Amino acid sequence: MFSKILIANRGEIALRIIRACKELGIKTVAVYSEDDANALHVRFADEAVCIGPSETHKSYLNIPSIISAAEITDTEAIHPGYGFLSENHRFVEICETCKIQFIGPSLESIKQMGDKARAREIMGASGITVIPGSGTALENDRDASEIAHEIGFPVIIKAAGGGGGRGMRVVHNDASFPKAFMTAQAEAVSSFNNPKLYIEKLIEEPRHIEFQILGDQHGNIIHLGERDCSTQRRYQKLIEESPSTCLTPDLRERMGKAAIKAAKTVNYYSTGTIEFLLDKNNNFYFMEMNTRIQVEHPVTEMVTGIDLIKEQIKVACGEGLSYSQDDIRLRGHAIECRINAENPKTFIPCPGTITSLHLPGGPGVRIDTAAYLNCKISPYYDSLIVKLIVHGNDRQEAIRRMQRALEEFIIEGIDTTIPFHLEMLKNEAFIDGNINTEFLCRLDAN
Amino acid sequence: MDIQKIDQILNLIEKTSFVEVEVEQDGLRVRARKGASSSSSLNVETNSAVDVQAMSKSVADEKNDKRIMSRSPLVGTFYRAPSPNASPFIEVGDLVKKGQVLCIVEAMKLMNEVESEVEGKVVSVYVENAQPVEYGEPLFLIETC
Repeated sequence: MFSKILIANRGEIALRIIRACKELGIKTVAVYSEDDANALHVRFADEAVCIGPSETHKSYLNIPSIISAAEITDTEAIHPGYGFLSENHRFVEICETCKIQFIGPSLESIKQMGDKARAREIMGASGITVIPGSGTALENDRDASEIAHEIGFPVIIKAAGGGGGRGMRVVHNDASFPKAFMTAQAEAVSSFNNPKLYIEKLIEEPRHIEFQILGDQHGNIIHLGERDCSTQRRYQKLIEESPSTCLTPDLRERMGKAAIKAAKTVNYYSTGTIEFLLDKNNNFYFMEMNTRIQVEHPVTEMVTGIDLIKEQIKVACGEGLSYSQDDIRLRGHAIECRINAENPKTFIPCPGTITSLHLPGGPGVRIDTAAYLNCKISPYYDSLIVKLIVHGNDRQEAIRRMQRALEEFIIEGIDTTIPFHLEMLKNEAFIDGNINTEFLCRLDAN
Repeated sequence: MDIQKIDQILNLIEKTSFVEVEVEQDGLRVRARKGASSSSSLNVETNSAVDVQAMSKSVADEKNDKRIMSRSPLVGTFYRAPSPNASPFIEVGDLVKKGQVLCIVEAMKLMNEVESEVEGKVVSVYVENAQPVEYGEPLFLIETC
């Protein structure tokens, strides 16, 4: 087992990793930008190193600074969290060269799955159904136009270099295609420094169903069930739950098998997620694979009782999986609300200082946050401030519990999306389990 | 000790009849002396061979002394001399010119020379040889003329 781990991240996920390390008896090193000097992850870690000024490219994305911090603290392994350097293959290569263990999957699988267009090719080639679309990444809008026409409108243009809604455009007809392609390309270049795009047939009113994968370095791979992340706004997830209301046991088994097959195709180990889209006719299609721990991992932890970060760390030091597929059972129902420092109607980010804070509690309530009274929410980093997760014996109890927890939750001094979540949890379609990824767009439009 | 505390100390002396005050805390010493003339500008000095702006200010606002804190522009190991057997780049009391190498901060096996952004006299050295330093850590106090 490692004796010391450096967490190359900040906020709630850095705290999450520190907590797992403490329970495993591993010493922790926090890195922080000047803006985060008083952050909880800095205070909870055994050691802390300031790595740069507030701007992320000078601090949390500053590879030399982070590696240097690992060297001066004699760190054995680095956990990258999510975002930042978690899927950056240059960082993984440098860790390997400096003999620091990267806690995550192999460099090869990150490279293969990081190029979204290539990932589709690889999966398609091994017999996994992918969303119908362009075979390879495209840079030229004329070629792309032809392919879009072949696929059949409506289509969605996506960036090969990354996700998060950037470099994505829905196109309904030939006429609007060229402009949409060029705008998407400009966005892709500015977000990922990669002009390559690919096209998919637009699946109408899809449900976003993702499967959590866990593999070890001895070839064992299992899945830990699904998460339904259909409540999204502009391709950003807002509410996630497990199990999904629309999966029959048969569908779950087939999708689970497909997820494992996908992971085995790239000899995957560590934690990862296979994202599928489910159409109205219960056909599922591979969309992409995320080769890191995800924001919504607590949802799976609540229904399976498994600590995914601990498992990740164990896998990284060469241990075999502590569970077989038969050991995995989804018990009860879990829901997570991502609470952001944003206006609940416009979703405009609202940095500021938290002047009043009362966290909900009671049975089945879990809070993952790095916020504290009088802390400053910085404009430099993303607006997620709290993950509120509840678990209940069934979906109805989980919904009631989430409503109750949201009602107890007080945050003052900044805008938060708590009111939005309260509305969603009362929404009939949500309660009936009839949400798809376009739901919020329609709601906005009305 | 941060810039706010230093400001507070200075404002306090202004109101008293004391001519000179020296305060030391956590290895940082601030000495302020009331004088006839006043200097108006706050210097934000930078000190780097790497392209990073150090966030430090003059510790004597509107006083005669202008002391600039030189801070590490990167994370690494601090060395006083170019090699283990060589003599240090600078000692306390030395006069340094702008661009003169003050020390080395080693990061990822690369030796980065940290240059002085100001001309002046070295008043203090805060870090011992071969100690790790983080971004922004105080290295030297330099008194400009």
